[in-house]
Amino acid sequence: MKISSANLLGLGALVLLVVMPVVVSSWVAADFGMYFVYAIFAVSLAFLWGHVGLLSLGHAVYFGIGAYAMSIVTLGMVPGLSWLVSAWVGLAAAVVLAGAFAWLVGSLFFAGRRPLRGAFLGIVTLALAVIIERLAINSTFLGGLNGLLGVPPMSLGLNGGGPEIVEPLAVFYAMLGLLAVVSALVLAIQKSRFGLALASVRENELRASTLGHDATRLKVRAMAVSGALAGLAGALFVVQFGFASPSLIGFTLSADVLIWVALGGRGHIVSAALGAIGVRYLESQLSDMIGATWPLALGAVFVLCVIVFPRGVFGEVIGWIDAVRALREKADVRQTAAM
Amino acid sequence: MDQVATAILDTSNAILVLMLVSLGLAIIFGLMNVINMAHGEFLMLGGYAIMQLGAFGLPFFVALALAPLIVAVIGLIVEELVISRTYHRLIDTILATWGLALMLRQAVILQYGPISYGVAPPNVGFVQVFGGQYPVYRLIVMGVSLATILATFAFFFATRWGLAARAVIANRDMAACLGINTRFLDRITFAFGAGLAGLAGAAMAPIISIDPNSGLGWVVPAFLSILVGGLGTVSGPLAGAAGVGGLDSLTATFASPVWAQLVVFTAAILVIRLFPNGLVSRRRREA
Repeated sequence: MKISSANLLGLGALVLLVVMPVVVSSWVAADFGMYFVYAIFAVSLAFLWGHVGLLSLGHAVYFGIGAYAMSIVTLGMVPGLSWLVSAWVGLAAAVVLAGAFAWLVGSLFFAGRRPLRGAFLGIVTLALAVIIERLAINSTFLGGLNGLLGVPPMSLGLNGGGPEIVEPLAVFYAMLGLLAVVSALVLAIQKSRFGLALASVRENELRASTLGHDATRLKVRAMAVSGALAGLAGALFVVQFGFASPSLIGFTLSADVLIWVALGGRGHIVSAALGAIGVRYLESQLSDMIGATWPLALGAVFVLCVIVFPRGVFGEVIGWIDAVRALREKADVRQTAAM
Repeated sequence: MDQVATAILDTSNAILVLMLVSLGLAIIFGLMNVINMAHGEFLMLGGYAIMQLGAFGLPFFVALALAPLIVAVIGLIVEELVISRTYHRLIDTILATWGLALMLRQAVILQYGPISYGVAPPNVGFVQVFGGQYPVYRLIVMGVSLATILATFAFFFATRWGLAARAVIANRDMAACLGINTRFLDRITFAFGAGLAGLAGAAMAPIISIDPNSGLGWVVPAFLSILVGGLGTVSGPLAGAAGVGGLDSLTATFASPVWAQLVVFTAAILVIRLFPNGLVSRRRREA
């Protein structure tokens, strides 16, 4: 079976990342544990935006819901169930709540004969993110502007206790493994009947529904899947970072993830994930060197990339690999014909 | 009584300024098919421009007249460098201007630091309104906004250029075929839209604080205004801005400022959901 160029790049990057802790310090490895979580978040957006064609300018809402859900459970703040501190329940709550909320939002925005689409959808999702951020800031239960502090690291016991994943290397490999699993899962979804139907909705919604696909239901489900994955990323973020704050749920992080995905390339899961890892890594390297100039440089690179590489940097790389392989295949065919 | 009068005046002020911001955004959107996420940053630049001009020793009202021109020139440069390269790619205009907004905010931080500045309002005193005192400067802001909005209308409906611009809004390709220089109109439009935002920022500078993030609070309400009002007309965004700005100001006065934004945004989302073409709608030819 022929392996696609995107998967080739993804596997190559995976191998490099697996052996990376041998050469870098555990300090850097711990940072990468965080980057992998951002990459999962980027994958959730790339699925919705690149594969289904729905631009969400407020995707941090689902990330933030996941982060808060995980924090509330592991801090024992669930009303009436203060004995419950299980990280597993927290993970499940994060995924289910974020997915359910995304499903609700999708039902609201896509139902009916005239669904929101394109730029309108983007602006309305952005407004929604501002609303949710405001709610989080004004909620005393969620800790207001300070957020929820002291979230414990991921513990493997059924209800707290048990071994904890805090060792930088353990976090590194756990998060890398999860990123690989999530990416593989999303790729499998994209290849399934459901995923193909989604792609047809992206290409031509009228034609897809004329052929008998329920476009509304497909889009709502895609929202739910994307939201659930973003929620998972939020939960994994908060166990590493230690606190959940309104900045995770609103405008700023929504803008960040959009830049990672667009810069990496929204057309492929792999390019989006590499975009997130790449930008965060460069940020940590360059902000030490050039300080406050970093956001300016990032903005400039981003604008340039939108103009010159609309497919994103890694999307462009995948395109080149494709072109090279096509050339070689042609040469092979010619060689066999000559023999 | 005087409280009600003050509330009415404050609300009119909020509406008129939001109209100014939305109008620029809507003209850029309608004519160029560009979604300018950096519009709030142009407003922010207007505030910094008037602050800087004031620091150079210029009288306030001279600075108020010059600041929008400075922002318009910045808009012209931006159009040439960035916007003109993303035409016909609607979603990419969102991304490019989003990146641009990031750059403008950061450039301002590098130049002026992350702190907030204030501009002293000109010494024009207070006026008696139904027994209460009301700052004259706010009345001036309203007057300037109203005059600019009327001038924009006059431009669109009483000049040849305005006719050409409306032709481009109605059907870009056909307008180009009839010999209208759309490239020139695009440049002027973007600079003009940026200038309107700059004027709003400069006029509001003595009332709000000027900081690198002061544009963020405007761009979402402005977009919601034009979506609520509807695209394709010049009056739609104004109606939308009246709804959004009015509801925001009234909720802030009579309920609490904390809930104002929540109420307004939620209401706007519902209206957009129920009337996707806006309240004042006109059928647009889909490209």
